[in-house]
Amino acid sequence: MVPKFKPSPLRIRSFCTKTVQQNPHHWPIKQITKTNFNESLSEIKNHISSSDFIAVSLQNTGSFSSPWHRVSTFDTPETAYLKAKFAAERFQILQFAICPFKLQASKVIAYPYNFHLFPRDELKMGMPSYSFTCQTSYLTAMAKEGFDFNTCIYDGISYLSEAQESTVKVRMGNPMAVDHATKSSSSPALSVADTVFIERVRSRVKHWKNACTDSDIKTEAALVTSLRKIVLGGEQFGSRPSMTIDVCSERQVQLVLKMLEDFSDVLVPLIIPAKGGGTQAVRAVLTSSDEDKHLLKRELQTFEFEQNKRVRGFREVIDLISASQKPIVAHNSLNDFTFIHSKFLAPLPPNMNEFICSLRLAFPQVIDVNYLLKDIGPVKKMTNISATIAYLKNRFFAPIEMEIPNQANENEGKIHGHNVVKICQLFGKLCSILKITPDAIESSDDFLASAINRYANIFYSLPGSSQEPTNEEIRGWTNDKRKVSCEDVVFLWGFRERISAGILKNMLQGSHEVFAEAFNVRMVDRSCAIVVFGKPGLSNTFKNVMNSKEVSGPLREMVSDGLKAAGYETYQRVCSSGLWESALADALDKALASHNCLSEAAYETKQSEIYLSNELINLAEL
Amino acid sequence: MKKRWPITILYRAFSSSTTSTTASFPLKHVKKSNFDSALSSLRHHIQAADFVAIDLEMTGITSAPWRDSFEFDRFDVRYLKVKDSAEKFAVIQFGVSPFRWDPLKQSFITHPHNFFIFQRQELPLDGAAYEFLCQTTSMDFLAKYQFDFNACIHEGVSYLSREQEDKALKHVNSTYKDESLDSWHSLKEIRDTHLFNIPDILFAERMKDRLSEWLGGLLRNRDEGSEVQPSFNDSKQQFETIFFKMRPAISLNGFTSHQLRLIQLVVRKHFKDLAYLRVSGENSCSQNVIVYIESESVKKMLMKEVKDEQKIDAEMSIKASIGFRHVIDLLSSEKKLIVGHNCFLDIAHIYSKFFGPLPLTAEEFISSVNKYFPHIIDTKILLNSNSILQQRMKKSSTSLSKAFSVLCPQIALGSKSTHLSLQPSVKVEVEVDDIRSSNWNSGVKHEAGYDAFMTGCVFAQACSHLGIDFKQQSSSENLAHNEKLREHVNLLYLSWTNGEIINLSTGNRTSESLASNKRKNHYPKILFECIVIVWGFPSHLKAWDIRECISKVYGPTSVISVYHVDETAVFVQFSRAEMVSKFLDLKESLDRNNDPISVLHPLAKLLEGGNTCAASYETYKEICSSTVSKVLFADQAKAVGIKWKTKLVESSDKTKEHESLRKVKAVNSDPSCGERTKNKNFDDVSNDSSYSQLSSDEIIDSFYTREAKQI
Repeated sequence: MVPKFKPSPLRIRSFCTKTVQQNPHHWPIKQITKTNFNESLSEIKNHISSSDFIAVSLQNTGSFSSPWHRVSTFDTPETAYLKAKFAAERFQILQFAICPFKLQASKVIAYPYNFHLFPRDELKMGMPSYSFTCQTSYLTAMAKEGFDFNTCIYDGISYLSEAQESTVKVRMGNPMAVDHATKSSSSPALSVADTVFIERVRSRVKHWKNACTDSDIKTEAALVTSLRKIVLGGEQFGSRPSMTIDVCSERQVQLVLKMLEDFSDVLVPLIIPAKGGGTQAVRAVLTSSDEDKHLLKRELQTFEFEQNKRVRGFREVIDLISASQKPIVAHNSLNDFTFIHSKFLAPLPPNMNEFICSLRLAFPQVIDVNYLLKDIGPVKKMTNISATIAYLKNRFFAPIEMEIPNQANENEGKIHGHNVVKICQLFGKLCSILKITPDAIESSDDFLASAINRYANIFYSLPGSSQEPTNEEIRGWTNDKRKVSCEDVVFLWGFRERISAGILKNMLQGSHEVFAEAFNVRMVDRSCAIVVFGKPGLSNTFKNVMNSKEVSGPLREMVSDGLKAAGYETYQRVCSSGLWESALADALDKALASHNCLSEAAYETKQSEIYLSNELINLAEL
Repeated sequence: MKKRWPITILYRAFSSSTTSTTASFPLKHVKKSNFDSALSSLRHHIQAADFVAIDLEMTGITSAPWRDSFEFDRFDVRYLKVKDSAEKFAVIQFGVSPFRWDPLKQSFITHPHNFFIFQRQELPLDGAAYEFLCQTTSMDFLAKYQFDFNACIHEGVSYLSREQEDKALKHVNSTYKDESLDSWHSLKEIRDTHLFNIPDILFAERMKDRLSEWLGGLLRNRDEGSEVQPSFNDSKQQFETIFFKMRPAISLNGFTSHQLRLIQLVVRKHFKDLAYLRVSGENSCSQNVIVYIESESVKKMLMKEVKDEQKIDAEMSIKASIGFRHVIDLLSSEKKLIVGHNCFLDIAHIYSKFFGPLPLTAEEFISSVNKYFPHIIDTKILLNSNSILQQRMKKSSTSLSKAFSVLCPQIALGSKSTHLSLQPSVKVEVEVDDIRSSNWNSGVKHEAGYDAFMTGCVFAQACSHLGIDFKQQSSSENLAHNEKLREHVNLLYLSWTNGEIINLSTGNRTSESLASNKRKNHYPKILFECIVIVWGFPSHLKAWDIRECISKVYGPTSVISVYHVDETAVFVQFSRAEMVSKFLDLKESLDRNNDPISVLHPLAKLLEGGNTCAASYETYKEICSSTVSKVLFADQAKAVGIKWKTKLVESSDKTKEHESLRKVKAVNSDPSCGERTKNKNFDDVSNDSSYSQLSSDEIIDSFYTREAKQI
């Protein structure tokens, strides 16, 4: 493969253009609110379609309420997803930054936009969200960056998710043109009642139609016209006469539609949906000619289109991204995409697999820069993008030039959304280090596809290993690569508060013979610790001892003081049944209580619920 | 946000044209920067005041549509709903307006204060993060009235509740009590784990050498009487010789926490006359020092001194973060008459934000509120329960802004139009920052300070109509003890919706008597033991269908009413209490036997889909008491952990609490439906069919106008 290095005119231009900005504080990031949203859309659309990648970055109102709610190293992908889901359902996105960008040699050409969002209930239907939670520390941090909450709340762009949009369509009761899907081809045998119904409606329609066409010729007194209208049940639909036919069942809808086919030369049937779903009535609209008929159909389409656009709001942008099918680059993809899914697609599914399937339909390729980082070496997961960039700068020579041809809105307050540009920059650096170079991109699309595919759609991964993790593994809590089976993990709680891991370890050491072998202790939060046994099987011995009467010695003393233990499966149950108490100890107690309750009711624990055996985690220094 | 917002939206829409002027009502806005000075002046004003009017703005009212207030709220359920609201939402603005009668000017002087408050996590306490809920409609509503969110979040005054303060102080106490113990443990830890590796041992040796060198030099110098050699300070400035409490000491800079721990270990192990201390230096960052000490007793003394200092510092910072609570403490300690408008929720907020967690029952809540605030008066009750005032109000709405414009037109318009004041009217002057004015433009409604001012004016005028003569009222006498007011003091609307009033001093509940003739809707008396709550039924069933379905089984007179809690749940009120258990028994047996007979049963329509659950009113209460708030009731029941489908009433003897284990599943996951149905009032069944003809907007409109008339 010969790299086709072009002495690109762009490169030359970049030396003289003043849009090249290396200082992040001067990046011209276009700030979008309700006022300039519509006018910016087409521009954004163009940038999206001409870009190679799209970076996204969110600013939310919070992330985790208690220390243990944070996605941590002892989580399996499944529990990590449940934690992310819990956060995504409660908190709100206030800023959504997107940045379509191109990679050219060592240059990133980026078009960053920062959207200010606010979930306004514009339709008075409790959508897009009835309420949301804010964490004061998040708001305070945003305030420190000079965030303007007034702009956000007064002028933020609202939105509806795909799922909400479809319910709204029904709820608004707009007449829908009949497409062929709703016309059922198979007409079942007509009963007498059906025939009577059809004939009655047919004669009404006929009368009405004749009257309408007649009145075009005759000139009648106004009173007569209005009387006629009342008698015949005619109305106006826009400028055209129409007639509403009430129906009681979906079957009658079909019958009416079938009957109206006989008048298809001039009548256009519309379906008026009922509020609670289903059909309330069929409306027949009289058109004067074939031409007029097409005109009506077009009118209906544009009306619907405009209305949908108004309802969708910011989701228009999400739809553009989704339609482009471009790879999306994110920094903390599990967190960001649970938010995106729950706010803009549909409510989050109950488990990770369904989530990934559902997300893939909308966004086929999601690349997490954190995951790319792992290929470079045993880097700790870096939560701070700037720190990561600095780290790479020290270790690798991969200069990346940022070109931002955008013109930021002049005279506007603070510029927000720098992270999204940093993500572009970081991604550019990583690509150049990992040799997913733009030359390769130009030479072969397939190559790019496979190179990118290798990194795509991994939402949660083990540090230091590049294969996708399974639900049997949890990773360690630092860079130690020893793996530990979930089976060897025991959660301990019920000791006095504010105890340190060291003291707890000391206390345990002499308490029972299982602690004679190597084991490690780590605090999860103030109320709960996890113990990892070095030798397989000991955790079960320990749990059995804790539950038996034979518990003796110092351990008995501790148990009498309230010490409790449970295996990893209890923790999984805590997450899956949503017991998000502020202290993990309380949550585990609740999970045990409800479990006991079920077993008392002779509820057999499903075999699959016992996750023990081959789950692995990586273990850290302790 | 007041409970009354949906009504006022509509009201505003008609009246906003008159208030859209650039309002320059004299109001003292208090933020972080001017809080201390404002507090000290407010202290004097409150002490001198005859009464203090208050008003709060919140980030929301109901955490889910089904938590809105209904006719079907028993008082304990009503309290749970208020409790939930006060616990979840934040107070972002607090209006305090002390009113004092000025005998010289023959008018009231008031000092309206508008506090922006925002609770920040200022103390380094771990545990749950501070968070609060925002109801989107409320935020939007506040935005409509130009609420300044930036002032609130950037510059709002923070606060600590009494409970949070106690906790923080306890934490400080235990920290400084345990310290010796903890450090001993951490020492042991270090010995156990870290000194096995060679780099650590080498580092420790080096530190030991350097410390003995320093110590040697120090002792030599002391003997020779010369200065400490500055040459010891190395290039990196890691060791810096300083004086700590008049003693020579080394300040350690630029070490990692692990290295610091090793140094600490070395000091303890090898140097009897050195002490390792971590002290909070300037700029509140902690500083690690090694101090030279002559003897063990001196060491102890020094340690104690440092510890005490640190403790005092910590306590000071706790005291400093009390913030806005000082105002509440002041109101409570001065025992002044507090005046609010429809203020039960406000009081609940004050309790939960500034005192401590709300008690579990209404009774406990009331008795503790009475302890903190012995005299509260609610202008809404006052206006509704007194016939003289009702006459004055000309049967108009008792919403705050309406009452204000009807009772105090001369104030509402500013004192410009004196010709209007033919009726005896109370004069009110506003004083802000020592500038008095009796002439102003109208303020912005739904700004807490202005609302508090309006409330106070309404109260003053109402008192005058009741025949209270402020000229004869001695300033020492508490207005709350005035015999003309006595019957109104400490009465609050538990629920405006059903006119239930609670007496804070006695705990007695009464239904509103006088005003009831104003209410448009007369509902049959609600007997809670006759009520079944049904949820998770097929979404296409409406109240009418459910009524019909049940009537087929028990006869046309069996069901008194069916009321939508939200899209997914209804209350069914039976005519007799025993029908509740009959119904639940029947439903349970139909669920159990899936034979053709049960399929053909009239109730089968209701049970279709297999997710229909039913239980008595007590279960509803239980669900209300949960801290979870799902938008739909059916989801809520599931989240609360209800796994059965029918909860039989205790009295039924046979199968007690047979638990069907099929999971309750949410019907129709559309969260929006509730919004619409929440406003749908009591279902008269016959009304329902007419509802279905209307568009949703029309329903809401008609509801709003109806409510607006009521309030």
